[in-house]
Formats: sequence, C-alpha cells, structure tokens
Amino acid sequence: MAFLKAATRSRRWIRWLGMVVTFAGWAIGTSARAETAAEYQVKAVFLFNFTHFVEWPPAAFKSPDAPLVIGIFGEDPFGRTLDDVVRGEKAGLHPLVVRRIHDPAEAADCHVLFVFRSAMSNFAAVLAAVRDHAVLTVGDGDDFARRGGMIRFVTASNKIRLRINLDAVRSAGLTVSSKLLRPADIVPAGGD
Amino acid sequence: MRSGRAAPRGAALALSLLVATAAATARGDVGAADNEISTLKKLSVDELMEIEVTSVTKEPERLLDAASSIEVVTSEDIARSGATSLPEALRLADNLDVAQKNAHDWAITARGFNTDLANKLLVLMDGRTIYTPLFSGVFWDRQDYLLEDIDRIEVISGPGGALWGANAVNGVINITSKSARDTQGWYVESAAGPELREDYGVRYGGQLASNVYFRVYGKYTNRDPQALESGSDASDSEHFGQGGFRLDAFAGSSDQFTLQGDLYNGTIGIATGGDSRLGGGNVLGRWSHTLTDGGTTSLQVYYDRTHLVQDVPGVIFAPAGTFVDDLDTWDIDFQHHFRWGGRNNLAWGTGYRWTHDTVGNAPALAFFPTTLDQGLFSAFVQDEISLRPDLRLTLGTKVEHNDYTGFEAEPSVRLQWNPTARQMLWAAVSRAVRTPSRIDRDLSEPAPGYLIVLLEGNPNFRSEEVLAYELGWRAEVAPGLAMSVSTFYNRYDDVRSTSISAPDPVFHLPFPFYFENNLEGDTYGAEWSANWQVLPAWRLHAGYTLLRENLWVRAGAFDYNNALNELGDPEQRWNLRSSFDLPHGIAVDADLRWVDDRPLNNAGEIVTIPSYTELDVQVAWKVTRHLELALVGRNLLHGQHLEYGISNATSIPEEIQRSIYGKASWRF
Repeated sequence: MAFLKAATRSRRWIRWLGMVVTFAGWAIGTSARAETAAEYQVKAVFLFNFTHFVEWPPAAFKSPDAPLVIGIFGEDPFGRTLDDVVRGEKAGLHPLVVRRIHDPAEAADCHVLFVFRSAMSNFAAVLAAVRDHAVLTVGDGDDFARRGGMIRFVTASNKIRLRINLDAVRSAGLTVSSKLLRPADIVPAGGD
Repeated sequence: MRSGRAAPRGAALALSLLVATAAATARGDVGAADNEISTLKKLSVDELMEIEVTSVTKEPERLLDAASSIEVVTSEDIARSGATSLPEALRLADNLDVAQKNAHDWAITARGFNTDLANKLLVLMDGRTIYTPLFSGVFWDRQDYLLEDIDRIEVISGPGGALWGANAVNGVINITSKSARDTQGWYVESAAGPELREDYGVRYGGQLASNVYFRVYGKYTNRDPQALESGSDASDSEHFGQGGFRLDAFAGSSDQFTLQGDLYNGTIGIATGGDSRLGGGNVLGRWSHTLTDGGTTSLQVYYDRTHLVQDVPGVIFAPAGTFVDDLDTWDIDFQHHFRWGGRNNLAWGTGYRWTHDTVGNAPALAFFPTTLDQGLFSAFVQDEISLRPDLRLTLGTKVEHNDYTGFEAEPSVRLQWNPTARQMLWAAVSRAVRTPSRIDRDLSEPAPGYLIVLLEGNPNFRSEEVLAYELGWRAEVAPGLAMSVSTFYNRYDDVRSTSISAPDPVFHLPFPFYFENNLEGDTYGAEWSANWQVLPAWRLHAGYTLLRENLWVRAGAFDYNNALNELGDPEQRWNLRSSFDLPHGIAVDADLRWVDDRPLNNAGEIVTIPSYTELDVQVAWKVTRHLELALVGRNLLHGQHLEYGISNATSIPEEIQRSIYGKASWRF
C-alpha cells in the first residue's frame, strides 16, 4: 500500500512540473500592459521631485549643507515608501530627510510638509505655524487648496494631477520651476 | 461540535500573550517596490501624471497611531509566507494563538480560552461576520478565499466590544479583500505537493465602464489526510471549492458602491469516522458616501447562508447519525463618521441582524428548538477627543439587544499620548461580553429518547463577561526599528461551567450534566513584537507572548471540569521571521516558531500537548513580470507533530505532517 501511495504521489509531481512548463510558455507569450503603481508610491516620488523643482530662500537652511526636511503631518499614508524614495538623495547640497510630526509647532522646521486628508482637522494650526516660513505645503484633502494649501494632489481617472495655488507659494518666498508649473493646473488663491 | 463531547472540553482561560504589532515601520512594500520606486524616480513630472495609480488604502503608518494591540498582516506578508489558507496566514499575527487540529480544523484565539470550541474572538470578512451562532466560534474550514485577493488582515487582541459588539471578548480579526479596481487582469495559481495535493486558483478582473470594476474568482483545494500518532493516515482529507465576485463602482469622488458574493462547497473527512459536507454562499452590498463636511457614511446589507451535514458517531444508547444545520443570516448596518467642533472625531452607527437556524438532529447530537429565529439590534457611539495635540481620549460604547439576555452594554475608555512623534503610550479599560450561543442554551447530547441525556444546555445560561485593563507602548526606536509592547489584566465573570444533576434514584447517575456560569478568574500577560529593517533587502520580525491564567469555581458553586475546561493555551510563544531579497527576483522567507506546553482538559484532568519548535520556509523566484515560482516547506523540523487534541471516546488527536509544495503563479 505504501508503495502504491508513493507512486501516486510521484505522478502528482510530474503533473505539477507539466503545469510549470505550461505557465512559463504563457508568460513568455504575454505582452506588457500599461504600467500601474500604488497611489502613495507615485505621490512620494512627486514629493521627491518637488525638492528639485522648488527653490527655497537661503535663509530657510541653517547652513549650505543642512538637511532639507520633508515632514508628514498627522497620519502617514506612505509607510516606508517615502523613506525609500529619498534614501541617499540630495537637493543640491541638502540631504533629504523625512520627519513625521504630530505637533503643528514642528511644522515650521520642515521645508516640504505633506498633510494627509485625514489630518485636515488641524490644518488651520499648521498654516498658522508655517506663516512667515518657507514651507511648501502639499496635501490631498478635498479642500486643501481652498483652505490655503499650496499644492494639492487630485486623482482623476486614476491619474494624479497637481493643482498649485501660485499666490500662496510665492508669498512664502518659494520659487517654482516652469517644469512643474507647465503640466500643473494653476488655481487662484482660495480656489480649489 | 466536531467532537460530540462539547461540554467536558471546552474552556480554557488562558491568555495568549500576543506579540503585538509593532509593525509600524517595517511594513510596506519592500522588494518589488524598490525596483518600482527607482523606475518612478526616473520619470518626468509629465510622465508621472500619466501613471495609473491603484489606491490601496493601506495606511500602514497608522499603526503608530493605533491605541490598541493591533497587528496588520499585509497582502505582501501573506504572499511571502507561502500560506495556502486563511488560518495559515493568521499565523503571521503574533497576537493570535493558532494551532492546527487536523487537515482542516484549527484552534485560533487571542489572549487565551483556546478551547475545542473557542468562542471569544469575533471574525469579519469584508464586514460580514463569520462566526456560527451554534457555538460562537468559527468553522475555519469553510473560508477558502483566494489569498491573492486579500488586501489585509487586522488582528486586534483585547476587547473590541465597544465598536464591534458581542463576542469581541478577547479580540477581533478583520479580513479585508482588495477592491476590484486593484485586482485587474488575470491571475492564475497552481500548487501541489504530497500534503497539499492540489490547489488551483483563477481570478479575472476587468472594467465594465470608466469607473466600474469587477473581478470573478474560483479556487479548488484538495488536502491529503494528516496522520495519527502511529503514522498512519487519519481519514480527514479535504476537497473544497469556492468561487465568487466583487464589483466596485465609483461615482465622482464621494460615492463608492461595492457588491460582492461567494459560493462554496466542500467535503471533509473526520478522523473518528464519516465526513462533513458543507456548502453556502453570501452576497453583500455596501454604499460609502463622503459628505461635504468631510464626514463619511456607509450603509451595508448582506445575506449569508450556510449548510452543514455532518456524521456524528454514536454515544451510549444513541446510534451514529447525521446532524444537519441550515443557517440564514440577514444583516443591515449603518455608520456615520464626522468631525465636530475641531476637537471631536465622532462615529455612531446602528444595525439589525436576523438569523433563521434550522437543525436536523442526530441521535447523539441535538438542539431544541429545531428551528430558531433570532433578532439582534445594535447601536454604538464613539467620540475621539483631542485634548491636546499629543493627547487623545476615546470614549465609546455599544448597546445590543439579543433574544437570549436582552440588553448588553460594552463601554470602553481609551487614552493615547504621543510624547514624541516616534512613540506612543496608550491605556484602555473595556467591558465586553460573550452572549449565549445555541450550544449553551439548546444542546441535548444525545437527543431525548435514547434512555439517558448526558449533557444539556441551560435555558438560564447568562452572558460571560470580561473587564479588561490594558497598557501599551509603541515606538520607532531607531530608523528602521519599530517595537510594540502591550500588557493586559483581564477579569472574567460568569464563565461557562458544567454542573451535574442530582443522582437518579435507581442507578444513582448524575445525568444530565448541564451548563452554568460558575467560573470566574483573571488573566494577565504581555505581547511584544519588533520589526527591524536590517538592510534594505533584509527584514527581521520577532514576536513574543506571555499569558498567565487563573480560573476558579465561584465560592459555593461546582464545576465538573475543575475549572479546566475553558483552558487550552500555551503560557509562552515566540517567533522569528526573516525576509530576504536576493538579486534576480529571488526572495527567501523563513518563519521559526516555538510554542509552549498546551494544557487541555479531558474530563476534569489536564492532558499536556508538549511544546514544539517548527519552521516554515519559502523560496520564491520572480521569473518574469508575469510568472513567479515558489518552493514552500511547512513544519520542516518534524515528520509529524501534535499541536492540539486529546484522546477520548469521541476524539482522536492528529499530528500535523511536514508539508512541501511547489507553486506557480502567473499574472497578466
């Protein structure tokens, strides 16, 4: 009986091997499809790009090689992704670092500040803290731009668009490259 | 239910210390994601705007903000573990004690009470409860989902009654499947080996209109029998097929509609003889709406049907027979979340569940009445108050009305303090109840008319109750190193006991035995877990749980099982998991676990399942973007080992065999 069982088992393995070969054949014959990526992976890369397309006044840094801080206020939707994106990267001489903050008072120490949609209830306190500081505020809450945020991620047809409140950006002393402005939608102050 | 002898085995107060979550940092998409990130970073802003994004609402870092002992198993964790069933995937949550009884049955609990009919855990699949009102436990063998489509499994140890309601006494398992939008295209998997004989799964996801997505799936599993102590096969092989669909429609940015359903059918062998045929299905609809003030509402309705036909061995004068159970469940649930006054995050909701249960009694196992309709009304309210930016107080309660015990209230108070952005302390006090199940009230073993009834339910059986005190700490100790510690002290009252009748005048026999609520006790313990990203390509995870339990018979009362029947838990458990990404798309994962001695009750005496160490390993190779091959070894350290089970008239312990299988998965 034991012999019989071993025999039936080996047949199963042969069947499995056959399947693997078939699968490999199918896979090779398959062509590539449109690329997709996780939402917050793409948003993390956008944040990374902002550090290159936005210019901060020199006074925003303690020294020429001081870190450029990307802050995440409140709930963090990125997981490790944002850390992975900026690991070892620099903007000019400034090494990029990610900092997670919960107290609005710490917001002024950031250069880029991301506010997740769930953290919008404290947004007024954040805006008050960064007033008169060169902090680029970025968010994806529905009323982010209307309430005074600078760059809002808008998801439409599964693609991410940028809405930039240029007045708010400029009044903070920041300069945005045309490479970022051209593909973005510019909205007036208070617009959405 | 599985062993005809429900009463004398049953309960164990134990705690399982779970290692809690901690996963704060180290989760997320490692490996494959690294490649994607470097590709994305090379794109221009214009090109980035052309990328189609999938919104996996994952919110991983939220864990650092969760004031409870929560552990999240992600779809990536499941894929890397080589799990082929939900219980195997649940092994990844350190705060669960998962013991395999045989080829298809599992004993799963948090913080103790892992009895044969464990009943202190609430399990939800996409918002649909999957425990059976027969004994308030879960038939783990009738939940065979395609794991590829599972988005995450949240495991909360500790009471969740304030939000989730009755039976969330010691924990909640919340299984969420992916949106149809995130499962587009073909996925085909096939696995085979000596133990997992065959496992096939197919899913296809497509788009019906610009914002309407669907998927359909099917899965078939065939498992070889496990072994008796002698090494010979136990007759408990499993054949199980399941299929289903999910449809997600998005209307604007503020409305989402989901419609989903499953159908399943299977046959599983029972070691003591005969088999169990089960089938069923469910359909669920949900409408989620975002209000203009940022609040959200959700309305959910589902229908669930389960059908069970099980062979029951004979007992004393009652011959062998067949037990049939048909359960229909209708459920409607409404929830509203909103912010109020800048400091308050409010949630409230209400629901109603109606169940219609019909049993076909076997001579040796019967429930009366044979048809029972029950209604369960529930309402909850919760307010999360920001006292200071770093201090949050959450107050909440659920109130339910059930047909057995009337109104039950399950309040909870929770305080969360973030002294720095990278650590959090929390404390909670909660009350939760386990309301009676049919076995507590309606059981008759055997049915009347076979000379003698050995065990009976008790129409006066009350709810079991726990008052839980918890204290926890969660922190990102260093970059890449996250840690969590949860401690708890639980005080239990009115826990199930077994009483004996006054001896009859002729034979002086103390039958029938019957259930009462004569036990009380306390448990305490700690759950620790840590995640360490050692290198970009190497992650370690460690977990440890400690559980001490004391259960005693209330002064002046009696329990036939000497307060042992609610116990069944190891005092300590630990595990160590390593995930390594090698070049050329090769990933190596290993999971080593140690489980302490497990004491089980056998008619008032303890039988000890010896402690054991086991190892699971998966080596996976991503051959192309479309094809992945994996070789998986489970329980590699022993030819066979015992995890759970005692030997008596109606049950045979089964040992779990080493299992090796190969798997191919293909997506395009």
